[in-house]
This record gives sequence, C-alpha cells and structure tokens, in this order.
Amino acid sequence: MNKNSAIQSFSPFATRATQGEQFGYQLNELPFVLSSAVSRAYRRITGVQLSIVLALALISGSAWAANPFEQELFKALKQGVQEKVTGKSAVSVEEETAIGRQIAGNLLGAAPLVKDAKLQKYVNNVGRWVADQSERPDLIWHFGVIESNDVNAFAAPGGYIFVTKGLYKLLQSEAELAGVLAHEVGHVIRQHHLKILQQSKLIDLGSQAIAKNVSGGSDRVQNLIGSGAEIVSRSLDKDAEFEADRIAVVLATRAGYDSFGLPAVLQQIGHFAKDDGDVALLFKTHPHPDDRLAKLGTAMDDRFDGVKGKTLEKRLYRIK
Amino acid sequence: MKITKLGLTLGALLLSGALHAAESGTALKNDDIKAEPFRDAKTVATLATGDKVDILKKDGGWFQVKSAKGQGWVRMLSIRKGDVRKGGSDASGLLGLASGRAGTGKVVATTGIRGLNEEELKAAKFNEEELKRAESYATGKSAAAKFAAQGQLAARPFDYLPAPK
Repeated sequence: MNKNSAIQSFSPFATRATQGEQFGYQLNELPFVLSSAVSRAYRRITGVQLSIVLALALISGSAWAANPFEQELFKALKQGVQEKVTGKSAVSVEEETAIGRQIAGNLLGAAPLVKDAKLQKYVNNVGRWVADQSERPDLIWHFGVIESNDVNAFAAPGGYIFVTKGLYKLLQSEAELAGVLAHEVGHVIRQHHLKILQQSKLIDLGSQAIAKNVSGGSDRVQNLIGSGAEIVSRSLDKDAEFEADRIAVVLATRAGYDSFGLPAVLQQIGHFAKDDGDVALLFKTHPHPDDRLAKLGTAMDDRFDGVKGKTLEKRLYRIK
Repeated sequence: MKITKLGLTLGALLLSGALHAAESGTALKNDDIKAEPFRDAKTVATLATGDKVDILKKDGGWFQVKSAKGQGWVRMLSIRKGDVRKGGSDASGLLGLASGRAGTGKVVATTGIRGLNEEELKAAKFNEEELKRAESYATGKSAAAKFAAQGQLAARPFDYLPAPK
C-alpha cells in the first residue's frame, strides 16, 4: 500500500464542510496537507507515532462517523500531526477567522472605516492581489483604511488587515501600499498573533468555536482574545516583525511590484521623532524603522538587483 | 523668503518630480558609492557609517547621492533619511500643507480625530455594522487578477528570504 492511498482513507477528517466552505476552506486541501505531512513525518515524527497514524488511517470511515468521542480524538490527533509537521497552529480556519472577525469588529469600534468606498475597494484590490501570492490564497482576505491620524497598520488572524489614514497619507505609490499590506499579510500567514494567544493560553486547543455572527460578536471568542482589540497593540517579538518585513518584500516582488515599497515607507516613518504621538504605538510595538531597514538590507543583500517592478505612483488612490 | 524665490523653489520641486528633493541622509553602514545604480558598476567612493549625504533621486533600490566623498549611487537600504535641509524646509512645508503633508511627509494633525492608543484599543466595543461594511468591500481572486492586469502587474516566482544568521 503506498502512502497516498493510505492518505485517501483519511476521509473521516473531511467532514466539517458546512462552515468551512464559507471561509474558503478547501476540503481537498486536506489530503494534500496530510500527504505532505506523512511524507515529512518520516523525517520528523517518531516511527511509533507514525504507525499509530497510519493504523488509524486504515480504519474505515463509517466506524468513526458513528462515534463522536473517537471523532474528537481523531481530530486532535490530526491537529497534533499537522502542527508538528507544518509548524502551523492547530487552530482551524473557522476558529482563526472567528477570532480575527472579533478583533476586527473591536478595532472598527475604536476607529471606523474612512467613508470612501472607492478607497476601500482599492486597498482590497491591492491587498488581495498581494495576499494571493502567499501560501494562503484561499483565505477570504479583508483590507481597510480606518479613521485615525496615527501612523500604524494592524493584522488580525484569518486575514483582517487595516491601515490607518495617517499611514495611508504617507504613501507615495501603489508599490508602497503593497509593501505595507504585504507586511501585515506576513503576520497572518505565519499566524503571529494567533501564536501569542496560544502562548498566553487564551486559546483552548481542545475546543472548537462555533462562530455565530450574533450582534455584538461572540462572547466566547471575546473571552479568548482578552479586552477589545488590545491584542493588536501587543508587541510581537522583534523577530516576528523582521520576518514579516522579509516576507513583505518577497510578496510585493512576486506580485510584480517594485521590491522597495516597504523600505521606502520605513524610511519615511524613520523621520518621525520618537516622542511624536502619531507613531507612539507603532514605535512601542515595533523595532525602530532604522533597525528594520538595516535587517532588511542584510536579508535582501543583492538578491533584488536587476529585479524590476512597477511602482504605479499614478494609480495610487489619493484620499481627498 | 521672497515670493519669487519661493515660487522658483516650489516650481523646481514640482518639476523635478523627485519626491525626496532636498533631503539629507546618513549612511547606516559602510557601503560603496557606484557610478550607476548597479552592483557591478564602477565604485566611485566608499561611505563610512555616519557619513552625511544629500539624496538627489531614487531608482528602484538605489539613491543617487551627493557627499563629501563623491557623487553617485548607493543602495537605499544603506541610507537613513535625515531631516529636510533648512534651505528646503519653507518650500516643502508649504507644499506639504497644500497636499496635507508637512515637510517631512508627516501628516498635519487635524483636531477631532482620536489617536489609537492601547487604552482605546482595550476599551473598544465590537461594531457589527462597521465590520459588515468592511467585509462588503472584499475582492475575490479573479477580480484581483484583473486589477493586477490593468496595472500590467505580472505575478512571478521569487523565493522567500532566509532568516539572517
């Protein structure tokens, strides 16, 4: 029996279609995830664990469907394997999206969208195109510009990304916007905020949220994320920020943009005095732009020499 | 500053098309000044960390700079932008006001809009209506691809960067 046919009989996992489809969760991703999981499992997981997984895989699907307890056990096992192998959080896409939605709704409670539909549509176009160059093109990505003079940008799990009007107004080309959004996309695809929540034991991995879109959001999810949108004001570790910067220049490049959009914005932001209120939170939660530039310079080295991209200054939507 | 002179400065700034006109910078690290914005171009001089430069132009990942050591092209990531030079501050200040920007590219504060500090984020209350509005603007894959094509953006492969040791 080859590995792949073993994987196909993992069908009992593919039972949570109802909400998943709404969130762009492709069931056919599952065999892929698991096949890559198992192929790498040979290297990464002990033989004993692997044989348990494979043994379970041979048990017929119908037996599992009849036993909720065992289904849960199987799910937990699958998540454990997935996490071990991919380094990704074992939180389901639905759970992740529910958490992100709650955070986004809270953030919008603090600062509403700029009332300009053309602007909002434009950032969604740029953002989605950039996000589609990442390994999570099947998330339903959301982007927005919020009404605040602060210079900042926020990412919540599941693909909710917002930039402030203060930051947007600093931008001088579409490539710069792409770079800023790509940095936030980097946080989402590496699940940086989700990991913070997990580290602080706020997410109980054994539980699966049923995200109800009740008015006021979900109390259960709110309990996971602490108060309001405070999670987005928490500092990630410096390495997560440097990593998001490295991802950003690559995603922007893949999308056909000039690679130096984000660095140009960092240079602009480096102008601000440390005690300027508009950048207070940004400077508090991120390494100084100079450090980020220096780190990016080292990482980019000469890899981008001769890589030409578009800046599209003229297409940048200007806020009236 | 006389009106004529100001007009000329503004005119020059607007004509140059360089957004970073009259900006000074500082070398973040030792790096070569090249005759052209290419890695293989002839090295004209070498900047040492802390050297002051004037930034004349930007081209991709390169700044054209003037410095005591020579003039040419330096990798933009080796330069930290300093403050706008005194000579250009009046003009760019006015220019900035006209476009809602101050000379440093800083947004001019308007009253009535709150900042977003930690307390505010902590106290934020879920806004269902605003969230639904935000979600209504989502772009799908095919629409995004079409938008990209309109800007002549073509997707291309490019490997992620390794984390520096």
